[in-house]
Amino acid sequence: MRSFEYVRATEVSDAVRLVSARPDAAYLAGGTTQLDLMKDGVLGPGMLVDITRLPLAGTERRGEALHVGALTTMEELAADPTVAERLPLVREALLKGASTQLRNMATIGGNLLQRTRCRYFRDPDVPKCNKRLPGSGCAAVEGVPRMHAVLGANERCIALHASDLAVPLVALDAVVHIQGPTGERRILLRDFYLLASESPDVENHLVHGELITGVEIPLLPAGALSGYLKVRDRMSYEFALTSAAVALVISDGIIHEARIGLGGVGSRPWRALDAERELVGSPPGTEAFRRAARVAVQDAWTLPGTAFKVELAQRCLVRELRTVSGVAA
Amino acid sequence: MRADISRGTTVPEVFETVTELTVNGRPSVLSLDTRVTLLDALRDHLGLVGTKKGCDQGACGACTVHVNGKRVLSCLTLAAQCEGRAVTTIEGVARAGAPHPVQEAFVARDGFQCGFCTPGQIMSAIALIDEERAGTDDEIREFMSGNLCRCGAYPNMVAAIREVVSEGNGNAVI
Amino acid sequence: MSGTVVGAGINRVDGPRKVAGAAPYPSDFNVHHQVHAALVGSTVAAGRVVRIDTAAAEAAPGVIRVLTHLNMPRLERGPMTALGASPPPPMQDDLIRHYGQHLALVVAESPEQAAAAARLVAVEYERTEPLLDVLDPKAPQVIDPWGTDSDRGDTEAALASAEVKVTQTYTTPDNTNSPLGLFATLAIWDRDRLTVHDTTQWPSMVKETLAAVFEVPESSVRVLVPYVGGAFGAGLRAWQHVILTVAAARLIGRPVKLVLTRPQMFSCVGHRPDTVQQVSLAANRSGELTAIDHRTVSSLAMEDDDYEAVSAGSAFAYRCRNVVTRDVQARLNRPAPCSMRAPAEGQGNFALESAMDELAYALAMDPLQLRLRNDTDVDPRSGLPWSSKALRECYQVGAERFGWSSRDPEPGSMRDGDWLIGYGMAGCSYPWYSVPCSARATVSRDGSALVLSAVTDIGTGTYTVMTQVSAEHLGLPLGLVRFDLGDSDMPAAPQAGGSGLTGSLGNAVVDACGRLVRRFAELAAEDGESPLHGVPPEAVTAGGGRVHVKGESSRGESYIDILSRNGLPELSADGSSTPASPEDLGMAPSGAFGAKFVEVRVDRDLGLVRIARVVSAIDGGRILNEKTGRSQIIGATIGGIGQALFEDTVTDPGTGRIANGTFGDYLIPVNADIPDLDVVFVGEPDRFSPIGTKGIGEIGLVGIAAAVANAVRHATGRRVRSLPITIDDLL
Repeated sequence: MRSFEYVRATEVSDAVRLVSARPDAAYLAGGTTQLDLMKDGVLGPGMLVDITRLPLAGTERRGEALHVGALTTMEELAADPTVAERLPLVREALLKGASTQLRNMATIGGNLLQRTRCRYFRDPDVPKCNKRLPGSGCAAVEGVPRMHAVLGANERCIALHASDLAVPLVALDAVVHIQGPTGERRILLRDFYLLASESPDVENHLVHGELITGVEIPLLPAGALSGYLKVRDRMSYEFALTSAAVALVISDGIIHEARIGLGGVGSRPWRALDAERELVGSPPGTEAFRRAARVAVQDAWTLPGTAFKVELAQRCLVRELRTVSGVAA
Repeated sequence: MRADISRGTTVPEVFETVTELTVNGRPSVLSLDTRVTLLDALRDHLGLVGTKKGCDQGACGACTVHVNGKRVLSCLTLAAQCEGRAVTTIEGVARAGAPHPVQEAFVARDGFQCGFCTPGQIMSAIALIDEERAGTDDEIREFMSGNLCRCGAYPNMVAAIREVVSEGNGNAVI
Repeated sequence: MSGTVVGAGINRVDGPRKVAGAAPYPSDFNVHHQVHAALVGSTVAAGRVVRIDTAAAEAAPGVIRVLTHLNMPRLERGPMTALGASPPPPMQDDLIRHYGQHLALVVAESPEQAAAAARLVAVEYERTEPLLDVLDPKAPQVIDPWGTDSDRGDTEAALASAEVKVTQTYTTPDNTNSPLGLFATLAIWDRDRLTVHDTTQWPSMVKETLAAVFEVPESSVRVLVPYVGGAFGAGLRAWQHVILTVAAARLIGRPVKLVLTRPQMFSCVGHRPDTVQQVSLAANRSGELTAIDHRTVSSLAMEDDDYEAVSAGSAFAYRCRNVVTRDVQARLNRPAPCSMRAPAEGQGNFALESAMDELAYALAMDPLQLRLRNDTDVDPRSGLPWSSKALRECYQVGAERFGWSSRDPEPGSMRDGDWLIGYGMAGCSYPWYSVPCSARATVSRDGSALVLSAVTDIGTGTYTVMTQVSAEHLGLPLGLVRFDLGDSDMPAAPQAGGSGLTGSLGNAVVDACGRLVRRFAELAAEDGESPLHGVPPEAVTAGGGRVHVKGESSRGESYIDILSRNGLPELSADGSSTPASPEDLGMAPSGAFGAKFVEVRVDRDLGLVRIARVVSAIDGGRILNEKTGRSQIIGATIGGIGQALFEDTVTDPGTGRIANGTFGDYLIPVNADIPDLDVVFVGEPDRFSPIGTKGIGEIGLVGIAAAVANAVRHATGRRVRSLPITIDDLL
């Protein structure tokens, strides 16, 4: 690890000022991505600004939305009663991510900014990585990809966004609150991320120095059916091969509202708007679910090692749609 | 923006920071290279080698300690971040010289073999019981899954935790 | 001697230290004035170092020395060991043999400084095309490396005329041992005396190797490893990083500590080599095997050896007249393989027992019946009766506990909602292995005993079971006996590996204790004041802290009294064991046998495979401690589940880089993957080994992968012949 200056911030404005002032400064929250990548030699900031003592932890119900402070940990959010009652798919996604120890450290803001698990990105001895060294190529495409993206991916980069939490959050139209040196702004989470196929090295719309201060999650309407299914090799403590976050509002035998997020497949947490449109107005049933799943992955870009995900993602989505709607096989 | 580094670059400086750490109730003041993790501070600077380094990448759980009562990975925590926070390690869980009930149950149920992951497993198990996540065997298995064991002592660990909970020693305060 | 101490499931004697975090592993040792090392590995798999620039690293804060092939002392290769050649000495030339090969060692005042400076070493390469594929025709091959190939009868003719035949190719990937303990070496020179804390399963071998390489007497080298931190075979060699650390400490004149990183644990300390195996089985319609033909190619390093006779086990698994086994190793530009828990059998059994299952389908016969029909009471290679074999009982008892008879043979017929249920089974064995061992027993004036041998306890329970054996044979309560190990100054001993230690060591400990009791009896016999005066020593036994006349416990006296009257602080005796020759005893020495029964559940849409139940019925001979013995089987079963479903060390095709060398990417089972596991021991003490044990460290793993694959076939109708079995295979 490269040596760095360590500074502890106590006010949001101080933290933002410190990081903004130095191009090689970075925020340190839970550290689960930041320190890991510094040890690997992928990141080498000259200054770390510890933000864990900023007053940005905790949740607050604001009408039909839950405001989550960026420094709330994954475990804290999973234990939140509003989440348990009105956002069960968020709770499921949280508890299926990482391990308890990591969830006690990792913050909600940090989770949204977690970097890809691509081993070609995470090893600076690999010379080709468009994410690390723009223009150098992509070793993953030539290597042995499996835990990689098939949506929003191409020969330039197939890095997967591995967050579980972000999958239901994009489906729910969560809004990110950002503090920058010149003020605050808000952005819809699903607009927050860029595609690896288009810009491997720039992953989101944050400008250097900007800090996520919170996330606003609209609550599901009462009576909505929802769930999160994560498919992986191990039963626990593993990133998703594919996952599906689903919320449906069904009445009189018709789907009135559908929200679908897909994980484990996209270079960003994937909102499947076309699939949602396919479902709305249909009666819940295996046929409609299969149609929607086909639409959701129609733009997949695959390699021999990742092709199975196209089929698996569809089956995962169909299964979760069946489960939440109670439709038998 | 994010600085990417590679081989053969320039010579870095070394930054130090003075940190007051309170470990197992005992405060100490350390002047440390800012890069020193909580894990390395415990092992290399405080002589508390019971906490183990199994990967140094947040992927095995061997370095599990409690910070302010919550289980965390000390390998992905900077020592400097822990100033003013209460750190508890395996060396701090026994009470009045008697082993913690979880430690006793691990011995009785043979919940380890080589023993290397064991301090981390026990720190996780104590926290798990405190989190009230030891209600069923499946719950124990899921919430102990952040601690790898290569010798394969998992079923015996589950039995040990089950035993502690059923005997009502679960919420033993440390 | 009561005999109740041995066999009882007593708690591990080292348990309290381990749960307190007070058991010191090699990485836990620190000494005054020590410095820290970090390794720089090659980032190409084949070629030559053209230029290595260490200037930036040498100028970095805290750096003391950077070693490369340019300034490394020339060293001889270490001596031959019981398991083959030593690894070649490190950094002796500019040739690159695999990705990750050590190219530099950076030594600095702190570990952070060493690690940071290691990233500053710049290397310029001349690359050549690496050989990476085990089937690459350009790879140099080693034919029948260990003389284990078999030819019996006329296999070709038997296959040609077979009534029923199965021929298939099975593959297993590289697996990595991945103990939780990072391998560590701390080398301390005091003039020409060397003390090394090292992660090894074999302190005596490391001592001999370091003495030879560094040209000092063996008596000047001490290797310490009271606790290992797992190894699973990775600790059976004096690896290059150990030599480098010791060399650096000598050059710098300060103690040097090196702790490998987790990624280095994938490229520097061995792994289970991948295999491609072709198996042909022939049988008549009643299910009697008429031919077994098993041919394996497995991978090997460019300039190193690995004892891994994958096909050899098929020569004695079943009664069959016509057998061919062939083993070939292909030299590749990949890191050196080595033993990993159940080496050779772990891969070979997967192929053989998968093929047996395929044969059972071809015969429309129950797979259990097929095994029972071909079971053999004699070693088919020699015709000698096995010294013990309760495999038939394993099958029967295991099947009953599992409820095998409720299996509907029709694939896919057993269901629970979306889950397809499959039952699969496999038979297994792990061959006998034994080598000479020595031990020393001492009883002191306070009545306590200390028994020593330079072995290690890698988690198997050696501390505990040898305490039990010593207590029984010295007639002392457990609390008065300490068994100590992990120090090469203790009596010379073999490795903890190959399921051979408990027998070799146990017999040495029994011998040492017996000799010590006899010494006490001799002292007493010559002593006019002793109640045992004039009693021939062979008429004396030990019990209750005393030596007494056999069958007459009142006539005797305590160890303490004998020592006191003779004015002795203690009395010691050395013991040893040497395995007998099978021909002399007229029997074939048996290893452990077992039968594995597995229930899997496969999600019919998602391809998820979950292990629902495992029953392992094991003939391990005499079990010295029911508790630790059961833990051995459970632990290895979990290793087998990892092999079956998760573990695959991936090498990048173009570069030879290990693509998943972390615990986040190389998956081993977690707690949630493992149900309660049923273990039952059957059989009798083995007749070949005086102590009656058979090694049980490996047998728990063997057969699990095949039983899982066979269960998946039963659940889904799909035969997966390539490990691991993952979701991708089952969509």
